[in-house]
Amino acid sequence: MKQNTGAPVKDVSSGAVPAKNAPSSGGKQTLRKVEPYLWLLPSIVLMAVMIVIPILTVFRLSAMEISRAGIVKGFNNFANYKEVLASPIFRHTLWNTLVWTVVVVGVSTLIGFVLAMVLNQNFRGRKLVRALVIFPWATSLIIQAVIWKYIISADYGSLNVILSKLGLIDHFINWTSTAGAFFAWECWVGIFVTVPFVTFCVLSGLQSIDDTFYEAAEMDGAGFWRKLFSVTLPLVRPSLTVSTVLNIIYVFNSFPIVWTISKGDPADKTHTLVTYLYKLSFTSGKSGLAAAVSVIGFVILAICASIYMIMSLKGEEEGS
Amino acid sequence: MMKRILAMMLAAMLVLSLAACGGNSGGNSGDSSGGTTGDTTQEPATGGDSDSSGGGEKVQLNVIISQYGNNTQDWWPTFEKDFEETYDNIDLTVEIVSWNDLYTVVNTRISTAQAPDILNIDTFADYVADDLLVPAEDYASADLKNKIIPSFWNANELDGTVWALPILASCRAMFCNMDLLAEAGITAAPTTWEEVDAACKAVKDKFGGSIVPWGLDISTDEGQAAFAYYTWNNGGGFVDADGNWALNSAANVEAMNYIKTLIDNGYCNANPYTDTRYPLQDAFNAGSQAMMIGACNMMSADSEVNYEVANLPSPIGSSVSMGVCDRLMVFDSSITASKNSDEAARLDAVSKFFDFFYDTNRYSEYMVFEGFLPVTSDSSELLKTGADQFTVGGSDAPGDNDYFATFTEILPNCEFYPSSRAEWIDVKQGVIEAEQRICQGEDAQTVLDELQGKIEELQARNEAG
Repeated sequence: MKQNTGAPVKDVSSGAVPAKNAPSSGGKQTLRKVEPYLWLLPSIVLMAVMIVIPILTVFRLSAMEISRAGIVKGFNNFANYKEVLASPIFRHTLWNTLVWTVVVVGVSTLIGFVLAMVLNQNFRGRKLVRALVIFPWATSLIIQAVIWKYIISADYGSLNVILSKLGLIDHFINWTSTAGAFFAWECWVGIFVTVPFVTFCVLSGLQSIDDTFYEAAEMDGAGFWRKLFSVTLPLVRPSLTVSTVLNIIYVFNSFPIVWTISKGDPADKTHTLVTYLYKLSFTSGKSGLAAAVSVIGFVILAICASIYMIMSLKGEEEGS
Repeated sequence: MMKRILAMMLAAMLVLSLAACGGNSGGNSGDSSGGTTGDTTQEPATGGDSDSSGGGEKVQLNVIISQYGNNTQDWWPTFEKDFEETYDNIDLTVEIVSWNDLYTVVNTRISTAQAPDILNIDTFADYVADDLLVPAEDYASADLKNKIIPSFWNANELDGTVWALPILASCRAMFCNMDLLAEAGITAAPTTWEEVDAACKAVKDKFGGSIVPWGLDISTDEGQAAFAYYTWNNGGGFVDADGNWALNSAANVEAMNYIKTLIDNGYCNANPYTDTRYPLQDAFNAGSQAMMIGACNMMSADSEVNYEVANLPSPIGSSVSMGVCDRLMVFDSSITASKNSDEAARLDAVSKFFDFFYDTNRYSEYMVFEGFLPVTSDSSELLKTGADQFTVGGSDAPGDNDYFATFTEILPNCEFYPSSRAEWIDVKQGVIEAEQRICQGEDAQTVLDELQGKIEELQARNEAG
């Protein structure tokens, strides 16, 4: 404490002799300029080591021939990209990824929005329902996927058992007899685990809307739909945008659901880009092809993120 | 001012600690203790002085053993201890790695020049193609070479050189739950595909959906085994009589179509595309599946199923069983983690390791422990009558003499995958994809023709260098 109170006195006295103390104030200024960077340095080093270097390595490997034993043989004239782009499995996988992202993000946003509207109302047991809604989000994706795999299993799944005990079916149904059926179930699980995140994002937006907006709208004779489109949606848009953009990135890159339920089978018909590149790398031992698929996925996401950035920057400019 | 100095010091410390972390991992990479990834399932049992701190020129030997069961990690520490007591100039490190992680771990180690000296895995052709292995003649003693059953020794030959040693084998057979079959009115295990169909129909009619008549695995885990079971027993297979790839033969097309009828008729588990052999084995052991083709050691000790082991059914009357053999191979010192200065001393230590491992009693004990079949003639003879002097892993149960007597007789006549061929991995994955496409409704001939074309193209590329 004594030193703290003494310090200003020393500064004042030193300020009285500027010529003598000029170098020290210059040093102080340099230090002040450098200090933020020093504080940032650990994060920058960490990001470089954990993010930038792996990304650059994947870009490099995607243009290399790599043996199955993992030996890098050298530049192969982008043969990995040519092979990947010529593969019908890759094209099907790309289509699946689009369907997977659009369906999971779209449907979960719709359900999440409705659920958030309901949870924003006052009713008994609201806290309990809110806790229940967040449950799927709080549970690990792999555990959820495994549970759903068991639920829909035709041989011993609980869905068949329940339906047959209720007398709704007289024999067990194979819910995943085709690749399309497998993929539809995977989309459903994706929706199921994504809904809570959207719900709580939208709910936080809804709770920030002042009741006076609704009161004013009602006084102007607005009904439910009018209030929804003219008050709720515009005001909740920032929350919805955040949840949608984050969901697009999460869902696009989601691995556990598809891999746990089908591993991309039957006949590689249920892959998304992430499971496909995992299979290429760790099952087929084709690291070069996997790196090429990874780069393509990265570019697609980078384009999506850029569009979002441009749009949000535009929105900010218009707002200001 | 003090605050700033403190802040600067803190920042410097953070940077230094980060740098230190990096330095440590870099240091490890040059260290002989291995463990560059966190994927391994077991630490070496021996103490901390993994380096030659004792002053003598200890030879470092790193070994990766694949995990064959829940108890693999219980057997090797004793082996390691006994070996190091016998050869105090060799520092042996045995790592047990799960099959799920094995390929990733090995590839990571190879690409960072941290490969083990000895690796236990199933195939070796890719390593030979990259010039990473030491020929078996360079380390296998004459005594050991004489002990290994010739067909297993020769199965590791590629371009006239033997590159690996067989570690163990298993063979596949058809397992039938005789109580379920009897209830369905079937008194004997089926021997032909027609009889399989009849038995499946009887089980399905009797039990409805509660019992699966036939366990089928055409998943990416081991779908190539299903391809082998049905094509070999129909006179087809992976290669023709001249050893050329013959994936699109008429017999193979017929076999693939037969698998599809099993699925279409509702005789199999609902998801053969994703069900691996493990849930099928569990279902059979639990008595909820009537028949399946599985490994000789698939029955669990506590299963109460009244089962019979039979030959694989064949529509042409000549049953072929499938053998599976895994290998031990030695990596070139240029890419191993153990930077031994004396290559001759390293190969001598490798040779000692193998002689110690394949010692009749020790090797027989390991075979009983894991439930696999021996690939040496002396252990095969011993286990036919003396398996009961050893205990099964994870239990106090003695080995079953009858089991070894039965399967060691069958084993030499088994067919094996052509896994020493450079194209094998692509063939393996190709037939699995083909099976799945055919069972999903694509034309078998078209799909297999496409695969054959792809493999021939690959072979031509490989031969062109």
